[in-house]
Amino acid sequence: MVAPPTSEPGRRRVPWSGPSTPDRLRRVGAVIVVGCLVTAVVSLVSGVARTDAVSECGGRVAAITADAAELYRTLADADASATTGYVSGGIEPAAVRARYDDDIDRASAGLVSAAGRIPGGDAAAASVATVAARFPVYTGLIETARTYNRQGLPLGQSYLTSASALMRTTILPAAAELRRIETAALAQDYVRGGAFPFGVVLLGVAVLAGLVDLGLRESRRTHRVLSPGLAVAAVLVAASLVWWVAVTAVAGSALSDAEARSNATTALDDARTAVLQARSNESLVLVARGGGAADAQFVAQLDRILGAGGLLDSAAAGGADVSAVRSAAQAWQGAHREVRRRDDGGDYAGAVASVVENDPDGSNATFLKLDAALGTAVDAQRAAFTAAIGRAGGAQTLLAAGPAALLVLAAAAVVAGVGRRVGEYR
Amino acid sequence: MTGPVEVRRPAVYLAVAAVLALGTLLLPGAGGPSTPAAPPPPAAAAPAAPACTRVVGSLRPQGPLPPPGAMPAGSTMAAIAARGRLIAGVDQGKYRVGYRDPQTGQLQGADIDLARQIAAAVLGDPNKVQFVVLDIADRAQALIDERVDVVVNSFTITCQRQTQVEFSTPYLAALQRMLVPKGSGVTEVEQLAGRRVCTSRGSTTETVLRGLPLRLDVVTYPGIPDCMLDLQRGRVDAVSSDEVILAGLAAQDPQTEVVGRTLSGAFYGVGVNKGQTDLVRFVNALLERSRADGSLAAADRRWFVILDPVPQPAAASYRD
Repeated sequence: MVAPPTSEPGRRRVPWSGPSTPDRLRRVGAVIVVGCLVTAVVSLVSGVARTDAVSECGGRVAAITADAAELYRTLADADASATTGYVSGGIEPAAVRARYDDDIDRASAGLVSAAGRIPGGDAAAASVATVAARFPVYTGLIETARTYNRQGLPLGQSYLTSASALMRTTILPAAAELRRIETAALAQDYVRGGAFPFGVVLLGVAVLAGLVDLGLRESRRTHRVLSPGLAVAAVLVAASLVWWVAVTAVAGSALSDAEARSNATTALDDARTAVLQARSNESLVLVARGGGAADAQFVAQLDRILGAGGLLDSAAAGGADVSAVRSAAQAWQGAHREVRRRDDGGDYAGAVASVVENDPDGSNATFLKLDAALGTAVDAQRAAFTAAIGRAGGAQTLLAAGPAALLVLAAAAVVAGVGRRVGEYR
Repeated sequence: MTGPVEVRRPAVYLAVAAVLALGTLLLPGAGGPSTPAAPPPPAAAAPAAPACTRVVGSLRPQGPLPPPGAMPAGSTMAAIAARGRLIAGVDQGKYRVGYRDPQTGQLQGADIDLARQIAAAVLGDPNKVQFVVLDIADRAQALIDERVDVVVNSFTITCQRQTQVEFSTPYLAALQRMLVPKGSGVTEVEQLAGRRVCTSRGSTTETVLRGLPLRLDVVTYPGIPDCMLDLQRGRVDAVSSDEVILAGLAAQDPQTEVVGRTLSGAFYGVGVNKGQTDLVRFVNALLERSRADGSLAAADRRWFVILDPVPQPAAASYRD
C-alpha cells in the first residue's frame, strides 16, 4: 500500500481509514475483534451441535434403537414360543403360552413406542408400517391355528406354518431393517459428537496468529513489552482452544467406548435373535417330521453365533464378556445334536421330550439357560453404553457457552488493549 | 518483521481459516446410495410329462405272509427287521388320510394305519415305525434315494411314476373332484374357466387340471392344506384333489363342500423302491390278507365315514 501524505488524525471524514499508526491500529484491532466474535459464534454453534448429538445418543436415538432391538427380539421369541407350544401336542404348556402373550404385549408396546419417536417421512417409517400392518395378521393366523388345534383338526398346523413363514420372511426382516436404520443414525451421532473441531480450531489459530503478529510488530515498533490487553486476549483465545481440544479428546474416547458397547449390544441382540430362530427351526423340523435336511438352518444360525468371527467374537471385540454365553450355546448345541440323533434314529418321542420338557441336559432347559445368559450380557452392555454416554455428556458440559464466552472476553481485551495504544497518540 | 502495523496479514489468516472451516463444516454428510435389491430369479417352468398310457399290474405275492420276526434271510424285510424300525414316507396334513392329531401329537389316518400294519407284519409291533413327512413332489425321489422304505402317502399309481418306482396293488380308489365354498354356485369345473384353482405341486391332479381346455389359473403349493388356507381367505376359487382328501378338508370347515363329477379316477398304492421287489410282494401279500379278512374295508369305514358312499377297497391285479 502506497502511503499518501500524512494528514492530521481525527479530522478526517472517514475515521480509521488513514495511513497513520492509530488508524492502522484501529483497523487491525477491528479485524481481530471480528475474528474473535466469528470464532465465538462458530464455537457456540458447534458446541450446541455436539451437545445435541451426544444427548441424542443417550436419548431419542438410543431409545429408538433399544425399542427396535426389543421389537425384533420379542417378535422372534413369540414365534419360537408359538412353534414350540405346538410340538408337545395338546394345549400348549401354560409357561409357553404366558411367554407368547408377554412377547405380544412387549412387541405391541415397542411398536407403539418406535412409531411415536419416528418423525414422519423418516426412512424407518416404512419398516415400522410393515411390521404394524403384518403383526395383527400374524397373531390372527396363530389364533386360528390354536382354534383348529383345540378341535383336534390338522388344519391348525398349516396356519401355524403360514404364520411362522410370515414372521420369518416379512415381519422379522422389516424389524431388522428398522434396527439397522436406527443403529446407523446412532453411529452418525458418534461422528458428530466426537469429530475433531476443525472449524473452531482453524479460526482460533488464525486469531491467535493475528494477535501475535500485531503484538510483535507493536513491541518492535515501540520497543516496549507486550501490550497487556493483547496478551490477555491471546491467553483467552488459547484457553478456548485448549478447552475444545481437551473436551474433544475426553468425549471422543467416551464416545468410542459407547460405540464399542453399542456394537457389542447389536452383536448380542443378533445372537439372541439367531438363537430364537434356531429354536423355532428346531421345533418346526420336529413338527414337520421332514427329517434332518431341514435342520441345516439350525446349524447355520449356531455357526453365525459361535463361528470364528461370528456374533460372539464381535461382541467380545466390543468389550463384552461372552464366556458364559459361549458355554451355554455349546451346551445347547450339544443337546440339539442329541435331539437330532434321536429323531433321525427313530426315537421321535425322545426328541420331542428333550425339546419341550425340563430335563436339565435337554434342549429346552439348555435353550432357556442360553437365552437368559444372552439377556444378562445384553443388559450389561446397555448399562456400560449408558455410562459411557454419560461420561461424554459430562465432559461436554459448558462446551457450548464456555469457550464462546472466553472468545468474547478476548474480543473485549483486544478493544481495551488497542484503545489504550491509540489513546497514547492523542 | 519491522515496518508499520499491517492489517493485511491478520485479515489473510482469518480469511484462510474461515474458508477452511467452512469447508470442514460442509464436507461430512455425503453418503453413498444403497444398492437396489436384485430382482428375483424367474420361476422355472414345470417340465412336461412324456405321454404314457397304460398302468401295469403289480407283482404277485410268493406264498403266505411269513410270521413277524422270521423274514427270509437276505431280504429287504430282514434288513428292516435288523434296523429295528420301518421308515415310512407319509403326509401329516390330510385329515383322515394321514394327519397329525394336534391333541396327542400322534400321526393318524388310513395311510398311517396301513404303514403301522406293514411295520407289525415285519417287526411284530405297529409302533416300530419312523414316520418321515414328504412333500407331494418328493415322494418318488425319497424312494429312489432310499430315504424311506415305503411311501404310504395317497400315492396315486400312474404309469409315469411306474417308470421310477414300484407300486403295490391298489388299496383305495382316488377320484379327483373339487372343493368350493358353500353358496358359490359352482357345481362343475367348467364354471371355473379362467379362475383360480389350487392343488398340490407335482400331483396327478395338477397334470389333469393343466390338461383341461378351460384356461384354469392353476395355483400349486407343496401340500393341499396350503390350498385350504387360500380358499378360506378367498384367494382361490376352488381346491381340486382326490375325494377322500377333499372330504377331510370339508370336515374341517363346514362352509365348504365337495362338488362336481369325477375328473379322473385312479388308485392309491404303496410305493417301494424299484429294486426291492421282495418288499412289494410282501406288501401285496399283506394287502391280500387285509382284503380277505375285511380289515381293509373296516379301516376305510372307520376313516371315511364322512364320505357317502364310503370308498371300497380296490381289487388287486398282477402283471406276473
